[in-house]
Amino acid sequence: MPVHIAGPRLYKSVKFRHLVKKSGSTSGARASNISLNLTPFVDMMTILVTFLLMVFKADGTLLQAQAGLELPMASSQQALQTAPVIIVTKNEISYEGQHVASTDEVLRDDSPTFKIDALYERLDSAAQKIKKQVAEGAIPKNLQDGCEKAKQNLRPEPGSFCPDGLAILQADKETDARLINKIVNTAKAAGFDNLLFAIKNK
Amino acid sequence: MGASLGTGDKKSVNVELNIVPFIDLMSCLTAFLLVTAVWVNIAQINIQPKGKTRDTQNVDQDTDVVRLSVLIQSDKIWIGLSRVNEFQEIPNKGDEKDWDKFESTLKDEKASSFFQDDNDPNSHRIEIAAESTSAAVVQYQDLIHAMDIAVKLKFDDVGLTDPAGLSARPSL
Repeated sequence: MPVHIAGPRLYKSVKFRHLVKKSGSTSGARASNISLNLTPFVDMMTILVTFLLMVFKADGTLLQAQAGLELPMASSQQALQTAPVIIVTKNEISYEGQHVASTDEVLRDDSPTFKIDALYERLDSAAQKIKKQVAEGAIPKNLQDGCEKAKQNLRPEPGSFCPDGLAILQADKETDARLINKIVNTAKAAGFDNLLFAIKNK
Repeated sequence: MGASLGTGDKKSVNVELNIVPFIDLMSCLTAFLLVTAVWVNIAQINIQPKGKTRDTQNVDQDTDVVRLSVLIQSDKIWIGLSRVNEFQEIPNKGDEKDWDKFESTLKDEKASSFFQDDNDPNSHRIEIAAESTSAAVVQYQDLIHAMDIAVKLKFDDVGLTDPAGLSARPSL
């Protein structure tokens, strides 16, 4: 392929006159400064930052997204608090991110104990550990108040439930209610008698 | 942030602000907020496992109190009152549960003499159970929907139990 001499180029042969400032120190035929109109860009950034600041939450995320898990919808606005998480996806049950059992296996099992043994073992050891922490007072002040209220049979404010016996259930919306019953029974047998069902706001 | 007066012309009163640091700051802030943004709002419904479960045999001895029991089945919802043994059946509307009727029925119960005293802790109690079988599955979403309506109507002490553990259970 033969080599040609370069054709017309921007700012050389083709004048980009509408971008070139004509006034002040940049005026003149040789001026090459370009002034971009930044106003729409700044406007957009301001709106974006304002929106993001409004939706920003400083309390972080307590739950992790799971493949094959869609939370049920509800209108409750009560905030979640930190607690051990039991996760039920379409295929498996896990506790604190570790696989416990498959859902099919649990649904097939119709043992008279009516609980999930593998989950019970893990929940039982976790319950004992939490009970010890609460007894030693190694929990924040607001949660200690929640424990005092629970002893007096008073209902604590959402977000300050006593950690003793508190767990979060993060289950897929299409989960069979039999599975939920089994998990709730297992949690209760292990000492978790206060459950927070994670839901997605409508 | 720097500012320069005029553009060399003595009569000029235009002020040019140096907005580069401002744009830098906004870009950093936008990037940070986009990375840390929480797009899904997650909340909770608080429940206590209650009733006579097969495992714990935790039979509630307080039989003088009237309890509101809800039994969710795949084709209908039952609302029952213990002691008086009154039951109302809410059949499905098409393929869906009739949540409007469920809500209005619970509202009527809340207004009744058994549950209208807000200072009485028993007036906030409700038991919910789902009877699911492999042939007629009740989904978790239905359970949550029933609990959500109950909490909205100030039955905020929700007890989840086995169908066999309900204080008032319809004889099927």
